[in-house]
Amino acid sequence: MVKLQPESNRQAIQRRLNWLYPSLILVFSLLGVRLWWLQILRGPEYARLAEQNRIRSIQVVAPRGPILDRNHVPLVDNRHSLNIILYRELMKDLASTSAFATAKLGIPADDLAAQLRRNRRAGAYQPIVIKQDVGIEDVSIVEANKRDHPEIQLGPEPRRLYRFGNLAAHVLGYVGEISEAELSSNAFPGVQGGELVGKAGVERIYNECLMGQNGAREVLVDSVGRELGMLEEKDATIGGDLQLTIDFDLQSQAEGLLAGNVGAIVMMNPRNGEILAMAAAPSFNPNNFTPRISARDWNALMNDPDHPLQNRAVQNSYPPGSIFKLVVAEAGLEEGFIEDGTHVICQGAAIFYDAIRHCWNENGHGYMDLEGAIKNSCNIFFYTVGQRMGIEKISKHAKALGFGGRTGVDLPNELLGVVPPGPRWFAGETISVAIGQGPISATPLQVIRAVSAIATDGKLVTPHLLLKAERGPAPGPWPEQQLAIKPENTRKIRAGMWDSVNSGGTGHGAAIPGFDICGKTGTVQVISAERKKEIKKDLQDFETHAWFAGFAGRDNPEVAVVVFLEHGGGGGAAAAPMAKEMFRAYYAKKSTTDTVSKAAEHSPGGEVR
Amino acid sequence: MRLNRRLLLSFDWLWFIGLLLLSGAGLAAIWSTTRGTNLSYYLGRQLTYLCLSLVVFLIVLCFDYHVYTDYISFAYLSGLAVLGLTLVIGHTVHSNKSWLKLGVFAFQPSELVKILVIVALAKYYSDTDRDYLELSELVTGGLIVFGPMLLVMLQGDLGTAIAFVSIYAGLTFLGGLKRKHVVVLVIAAALTLPAGWMMLKDYQRGRIQTVLNPASDPHGLGYQPQQSKIAIGSGGFLGKGFKQGTQGQLGFLPARYTDFVFAVISEERGFLGSISLLGLFLLVSYRLLRAAREAKDKIGSMVTVGVFSLFLFHVLINVGMNLGLLPIAGIPLPLVSAGGSSLLSYFAAMGLCMNINMRRFVN
Repeated sequence: MVKLQPESNRQAIQRRLNWLYPSLILVFSLLGVRLWWLQILRGPEYARLAEQNRIRSIQVVAPRGPILDRNHVPLVDNRHSLNIILYRELMKDLASTSAFATAKLGIPADDLAAQLRRNRRAGAYQPIVIKQDVGIEDVSIVEANKRDHPEIQLGPEPRRLYRFGNLAAHVLGYVGEISEAELSSNAFPGVQGGELVGKAGVERIYNECLMGQNGAREVLVDSVGRELGMLEEKDATIGGDLQLTIDFDLQSQAEGLLAGNVGAIVMMNPRNGEILAMAAAPSFNPNNFTPRISARDWNALMNDPDHPLQNRAVQNSYPPGSIFKLVVAEAGLEEGFIEDGTHVICQGAAIFYDAIRHCWNENGHGYMDLEGAIKNSCNIFFYTVGQRMGIEKISKHAKALGFGGRTGVDLPNELLGVVPPGPRWFAGETISVAIGQGPISATPLQVIRAVSAIATDGKLVTPHLLLKAERGPAPGPWPEQQLAIKPENTRKIRAGMWDSVNSGGTGHGAAIPGFDICGKTGTVQVISAERKKEIKKDLQDFETHAWFAGFAGRDNPEVAVVVFLEHGGGGGAAAAPMAKEMFRAYYAKKSTTDTVSKAAEHSPGGEVR
Repeated sequence: MRLNRRLLLSFDWLWFIGLLLLSGAGLAAIWSTTRGTNLSYYLGRQLTYLCLSLVVFLIVLCFDYHVYTDYISFAYLSGLAVLGLTLVIGHTVHSNKSWLKLGVFAFQPSELVKILVIVALAKYYSDTDRDYLELSELVTGGLIVFGPMLLVMLQGDLGTAIAFVSIYAGLTFLGGLKRKHVVVLVIAAALTLPAGWMMLKDYQRGRIQTVLNPASDPHGLGYQPQQSKIAIGSGGFLGKGFKQGTQGQLGFLPARYTDFVFAVISEERGFLGSISLLGLFLLVSYRLLRAAREAKDKIGSMVTVGVFSLFLFHVLINVGMNLGLLPIAGIPLPLVSAGGSSLLSYFAAMGLCMNINMRRFVN
């Protein structure tokens, strides 16, 4: 039954109902204003966010271009590798993922947490690499647990493969992730963080040619990252081929000879500067830098007193020793201090500037003209010439032959070496410099370049490693400079160098019967004879540096070699035989193939046994 | 037949059309988000529920509302029993043990119980002639509401449970509160809140915190509100068009045909569509409030205000969470979200209120 309510009660209810209208207005204005704010005022911004949600650009890493030797032997290319990646948006909970990664894949929980922290701001769909370059065990673990851990997947990445390990490591260099410093200094224009760049050697110098064009896939995805369709695909383009002037066989020979030594060997075509072999020892394996060098390996390289990462052919300089006598000879001839009749009588020692100076042969060489002095490496002859000429003229000619300056080789961090005079010069030092001792130093590459200039009647070439680059800056022209040297002067020096090797001179260890090899040895005292006697210890560190620089053939040079051995002993005993093996390898190669060097093919002097 | 000509003339067609348009918007959104997927059966199911709801609506309309209010104690106790039964033999979906399976039909008794609670409380409060409620009545009224609420909470369905508070608040306000009782209620609420906070699960607390600081956890608890805001915002003024909403279609929006259906409509229909939807809700709310004013007796006003409170609360919480204003709670958008129990309950409730409205003239 309908029960009538008292009027007062009814009025009270009506009054309270009136209070509810404002609540209605309040609720709907609040929601309406918020809608206006989201859809109208900030609509464009949210539209952009929605696009970012559904379209994602997935980078496809381009492999770097292969590096070949002059005969197309691949020295560096790429191999397939797999990384373990984490898709955060597929991750159910961090604890179980972390437990799985630690227990089954051996990824420390801390590492994983650090990776996640680092990528905190990246979109959840961006894959995070949590373990690089995994083996078959990890691959099968990931595959077997696909169902329980869909967030952990495998992703391919091309990786640098140095096919012959240590071979030519200093020439090739290695790759690594671009560093913060390189990013901020714009050392590699256009390269993004996280990308691989060359860190040393030609990998670095020709990075632009070697780096490919990364591709991208723009895909439409749903909220769990499933790809629903491809919007646009841009394939990754592999980097350009890089063909080097290096000859694999000659390089192998040089590396083999240096094994166990500290030093460098460079073989070069003296006519055009093409480097056929450039080895430095000790060496390193660039593969260890891929995907990332371990802290242990890095520390081992850094703490090694012999600095295996250093390319001794260009990144360190040493007193050239008696090889510098060739420069003094050239200067003396050009400046008129050495003429046809110029000679000394070597008695094993002589006084220069009030000090007794010794020849290496204590018994003396007797009558010494220029050719004999070069052949026998007579100190007294060059002391005399040096004293007469003075340091300025020696220095002028040394610089003209490339000492103290860049050779222009296509390698990073080339050292300049030191050419006297220094700021405070003592006349006595000139005497030391005349035989390549004292305050003068040069890289092995500078030495072979200067010797090549003597071989080619004064043509100063730019040593280089690049034969052909598929992409990027075209190779060369490698600057060549014709020095103002009279051909008859260089011929005289060459005669001495020929005698040194072929008629019982200091360089006879390099002789190969039938070949026109010219050369000059150098033995650098690291410590003065007097001081050595005081210490009375025969430490390895006090052992002399051994040099040999030479070329073949005598009047139509086609190949030049420099051998440098740090604390390696005497130039004639230690360095010359190595040079001989290099020459032998060169001619063996030449007799089996015609592709060694175009210049060599056309060279009439290149005798083939 | 009790439906005479005069009653038919008093039928509020605009109100009814408002209800149909809201349900239609829901159907369109469900169609848009599920067509072509393995959930395409949702549309047919929702359509079936709508037909069923309209039948129930008509039946509720046919008999004088006092028929229902007079027998409410029996219905209310049955409702409690079913809730208890659900706790024992119920079916668990998304960790909520709130489903009862009857053959092919799965039903959430908690949705219908809310209506029973409204009527029961309205009946209890309207049995007095006084202008204000006594403390004992407040407590008994509280028991009427919080008994079933506790059972729903035990089912794990916090969102539905909180809705009971709105019923108690709305009807108690209308019943009349003495000032000292307001103080008592405020103190009671103040004491319950910290306990309630402690009872919340971690993810529920997190959801509340993400509203205050949306950027704190964009891939975890902040994901859903963020995606919802992106969906709504990216709709712009005119929307992306039917089935063109990337957020809804590609699954960035969670629960896109249930709790986040408002975001789907906003994305595809733009500001124009979403503000129209709000307009329809305003229309229905206004009609409820007007019906409460015009009701011929206290119980009529009471029942209508109870439905009004629940309806407005649901709209506010659901739209608020879609807009990133309120924490995420599993509360559907009345009449629009997919879900048979909620739709049926609301049409029954609306039928009751329109019934009261039709019979507003004292005869």
